[in-house]
Amino acid sequence: MFRAILFTQWKWIRLALVPAALLSFLLPLLSVQDLAAVQDGLSPARFLEGHAQMGMLYPMLGAMLALLVATGAWAADHAGRHVYALTLPLARERLVLLRLGAGLVLLAIPLATLWIGCLLAVAGSPLPTGLTAYPNLLALRFLFATLVAFGLFFAVVTGTARAAGWVLALLVAWMLAQVLLSSAGSRADIVTPVLERLLTWPGPFDVFTGRWVLIDV
Amino acid sequence: MFEQIDPRSATPLYAQIATRLKVAIAAGDLVPGAGLPSVRQLAAQLRINPATVVQAYRELETEGFVEMRHGAGTFVREVEGARRARTRAGAATRLVRALLAEAARAGLTVEELRRALVDELPGSGA
Amino acid sequence: MTLAIQTQGLGYRAGKQFAIRDLDLHVPAGAIYGFLGPNGSGKTTTIRLLLGLLRPQGGAITLLGEPVPGRLPAILARTGYVPERPHLYPSLTVQEAIAYHRAFYPRWDQRRADDLLAGFLLEPGRQTSRLSKGELGKLMLLLVLAQSPDLLLLDEPTDGLDPVVRREVLTALLDYVSQRGATVFISSHLVHELERICDWVGVMDQGRLVTELPMETFKNGIKRLHVSGVPAEVGATPFALVARQVHDGRHETWIVRGWQGPMRQYIEGLGGTVREVVDLDLEEGFVELLRTARGPVAGRS
Repeated sequence: MFRAILFTQWKWIRLALVPAALLSFLLPLLSVQDLAAVQDGLSPARFLEGHAQMGMLYPMLGAMLALLVATGAWAADHAGRHVYALTLPLARERLVLLRLGAGLVLLAIPLATLWIGCLLAVAGSPLPTGLTAYPNLLALRFLFATLVAFGLFFAVVTGTARAAGWVLALLVAWMLAQVLLSSAGSRADIVTPVLERLLTWPGPFDVFTGRWVLIDV
Repeated sequence: MFEQIDPRSATPLYAQIATRLKVAIAAGDLVPGAGLPSVRQLAAQLRINPATVVQAYRELETEGFVEMRHGAGTFVREVEGARRARTRAGAATRLVRALLAEAARAGLTVEELRRALVDELPGSGA
Repeated sequence: MTLAIQTQGLGYRAGKQFAIRDLDLHVPAGAIYGFLGPNGSGKTTTIRLLLGLLRPQGGAITLLGEPVPGRLPAILARTGYVPERPHLYPSLTVQEAIAYHRAFYPRWDQRRADDLLAGFLLEPGRQTSRLSKGELGKLMLLLVLAQSPDLLLLDEPTDGLDPVVRREVLTALLDYVSQRGATVFISSHLVHELERICDWVGVMDQGRLVTELPMETFKNGIKRLHVSGVPAEVGATPFALVARQVHDGRHETWIVRGWQGPMRQYIEGLGGTVREVVDLDLEEGFVELLRTARGPVAGRS
């Protein structure tokens, strides 16, 4: 049963997942391109600057992968308004778990290619003194970030369109409330503290922030 | 044999099928020992409910025209001559009744019918 | 009589216009039950309620002896459902769709699937999104028959199909029923089609179950009488006088229910004559039934 479900999800997103996995493999390799230039006189500090800038692509890639796999889990059912899925003889929560599991298996593909890419990027060429490579740490961080995003997207996509609408409406109302408060002259801030909570440890999105680098001091 | 089965008729389908088979047996088209189509075959062929076929076969069995051998199928039984003649006469009567009813609807007289019948019979000089 | 489907006081409301009211269905096990009604009478909604796809606002549903929605997965393992517009995963091929479906049904009959695949002339490698309406309908029927169900819920399974496909579909269905003896609940507005195969009829109109009878009873009770010479006021009749139409003063057409031969004497007692008693087929009976069912409603509004 799991294999059947995994297969449908694979078939639905494979045309996007394969290039995404390739991209995950290439990104670490591309990010160390300038490493050779350090040998030729580029200052390590300048290298790290460019390297860190390219690193911003990691969380974006992770979020994109998560979105792809999460929507791919339910897209076929959404298209048929879930009638087919809901008349299969298994409890709804079980179907959700199976789809979640299949999504995680599919997600493992680009996660693995990214890890391999990290390892390959730093293998072979010796690093300039003072610099250290963190391939496993970066891959692990990428894994966590992608899983957090996947969990979020999967939850939203699993719910009904109405549920997603409520979430969106709530966010808009929240922002609007802040705007109204500010225009009324109040200095109360109901947005920033919440965002800070979410974005800094132990908030769930802490993993997305900060420097994403394969090579650092 | 079943071409004229009419699901829209008020006569239930099972009765129509049973009557057809009785007449075929009486006419000797189905000889003693001959097997009837299986319920599955006949239901699929006529696109009717299998239960209807079973009901028809049951009726034939109760009336002694066939016997249902479990697992083997349904087979025509020996039917005595007088019984066969009665069955055939019954079929003829039904046809004539239907004809008369139709004629009454069309406003035809019995005399007109009789003349048409004589004309149409093979060997008539028309 | 064991019932394969039973509902008690089932109620469902969608918007202001449409509601299912106090629906009491009784579908005997082993029956082929024709669920008739004009478009929009609530047939599809009822089927969706039975399958737990919609949540009723009142009443109870029992399928195969088990409560809905409490025991749904167990019920669904024994139930085949062909929706009005089947939707399978469009990215899968015919073969893959079969393999997918098969994974969920413990009583899957691969031989039947293979036979039907060949019989229906479906290309195993064809993508389901490229199938015609008829092919999709056949594939859906293949899937539900191969799962060896005890109960089949078919929502307009032949609507919009050409006669050849329609015949193939019905033949496959009847073949399954004669082998396995399943209960079939089949909704349609194509009355003629059901006349051949059903032994029970339920008629829906405007969200209500107007009648539920064995097919024979339904067809036998309702007649059209051509009478003449009856007085304008007839009082109480031994049958139900559904409709009365006067043609030219003397000749009248009556639609009656519960008619039996000896009731001629009643009309003769009134000084009239029964010129003809016409049997109504299912469709005519259905139309007359709806006319009466709607009559009082129209009168009140």
